[in-house]
Amino acid sequence: MPQYAALIYTDDVDWSLPDYAEETKEYNAFGEAAAAALRGGAALYPTSTATTVRVTGGKGGDVVTTDGPFVETKEALTGFYLLEAADLDAAVAIAAGIPATWGGGAVEVRPIIPMG
Amino acid sequence: MTEADARGALARLVREEGPRVVATLIRLTGDVQTAEDAVQEAAIRALRAWPESGIPDQPRAWLTVTARRCALDIVRRESNRDRKEAEALRLQQLFAAEPVDSDVPDDLLRLVFTCCHPALALELQVALSLRTLCGLSTAEVARALLVPEPTMLKRLTRAKQKIARAGIPFRIPSAAELPERVAGVVACLYLLFNEGYTATAGDDAIRPDLVDEAIRLARLLHQLMPGQPSLTGVLALMLLHDSRRAARLTAENEIVLLADQDRSLWRQEQIREGVELLGQGLAQSPCRPDPYVVQAAIAACHALAPQSAVTDWSAIVSWYDVLLTVQDTPVIRLNRGVAVAERDGPQAGLAAVDKLAGLERYALWHATRAALLDRLDRGDEAGSARAAALALDANTAMRQRIAKSQTN
Repeated sequence: MPQYAALIYTDDVDWSLPDYAEETKEYNAFGEAAAAALRGGAALYPTSTATTVRVTGGKGGDVVTTDGPFVETKEALTGFYLLEAADLDAAVAIAAGIPATWGGGAVEVRPIIPMG
Repeated sequence: MTEADARGALARLVREEGPRVVATLIRLTGDVQTAEDAVQEAAIRALRAWPESGIPDQPRAWLTVTARRCALDIVRRESNRDRKEAEALRLQQLFAAEPVDSDVPDDLLRLVFTCCHPALALELQVALSLRTLCGLSTAEVARALLVPEPTMLKRLTRAKQKIARAGIPFRIPSAAELPERVAGVVACLYLLFNEGYTATAGDDAIRPDLVDEAIRLARLLHQLMPGQPSLTGVLALMLLHDSRRAARLTAENEIVLLADQDRSLWRQEQIREGVELLGQGLAQSPCRPDPYVVQAAIAACHALAPQSAVTDWSAIVSWYDVLLTVQDTPVIRLNRGVAVAERDGPQAGLAAVDKLAGLERYALWHATRAALLDRLDRGDEAGSARAAALALDANTAMRQRIAKSQTN
């Protein structure tokens, strides 16, 4: 069955703060409701904790890191799920249960390249 | 019949049957590109073989069986080395299980909903519908939508790739989803029609080829889903609008206003068909009339008036009031204002039009105001309204019409 990544874009929040206990509870509820389709996922610390890595001069060259996300945007990637669904319609139906979709953010559904 | 006629008739037959064969091949192979390539190859073989052997009794079955063989060749040629025999075997088994002359009308309907899937951008839906449902070549689609051919090729490739990779399903939506999905299909269809009926780009005010394709597609969809009021309505609306085609342009390619058109040029047969469909559409949506059906009713009021002077403007204003209960947009309010001006005079019409907010970027709002101000002998204000209209985007014929209205 095809797999999809559901990339969660919201304000650049810190889910670990008690302020987000309500949201976290909603995410847990989604996780339980959609358990049959979920194959993985995680909530991410905010982009202030991100480190962007590049290597200059080709493979094995100098590792250059910059503090911060790859792109600065108002809404940030703050989590993701890996899910399995029969087709895009089914994946969208599952993704519509992710709290970000009605909480002012959005979820990007991307098909995963099957390996092997 | 000359040889050229015979070839033309053959090509038409292949084109008519093509979309259904493509649809079936998509269901069997699970891939739009493979299906299209296979059917294209089958069509080439048909055009080569039929002039000698004669047209087979069941041309679609002939095309289907040939396209299946071509699909197998494509899979053997192009699949990954380790997977191709397995894939070819899988297809052979599927083919064997289904006689070639079995008629699966739902295949075409599945294809409609795949082409007009909301996960595809509207411009992709329109291009894909023309390519697969109308059976136009990529070059023809590019010409129809005024896009360079390489751009169109890229656009279509991206659409097919998204269908394959994202897993856009090839199926008929469930009853619960159907109204919303049909609305998407109709929006795609109506966009296509409008682009032909009032071209927003280019030098031509009307693009009959595009209008013809839109009507052809609307007929097909209405046939496939006869009980859907918005499809009945949109087909009626298109037929009624297009019935005036021959009267809408002068020999110099200038737009003739409805009131000035030679009504003897209107196609009565098309009007009759449109009015009949309108009746069906009203019966299909008795409680909450479908917006396309109501617009068809307004078009019918015009189409049924033997002269402009006897147009039933009261009925038209009433239909606009009905329309506003199901679809309230500034443009519909503008058109209602125009109808009010005809029923109650330019002063009342101007008052209705001036009350509308949010149309400052819309050339027709300014042009309508200019025309009403002229009728009230307020020439200076009419002049600045006309200048505002001309400053906004409009195609050549509409610009001529706005500029010309000054001298009248």
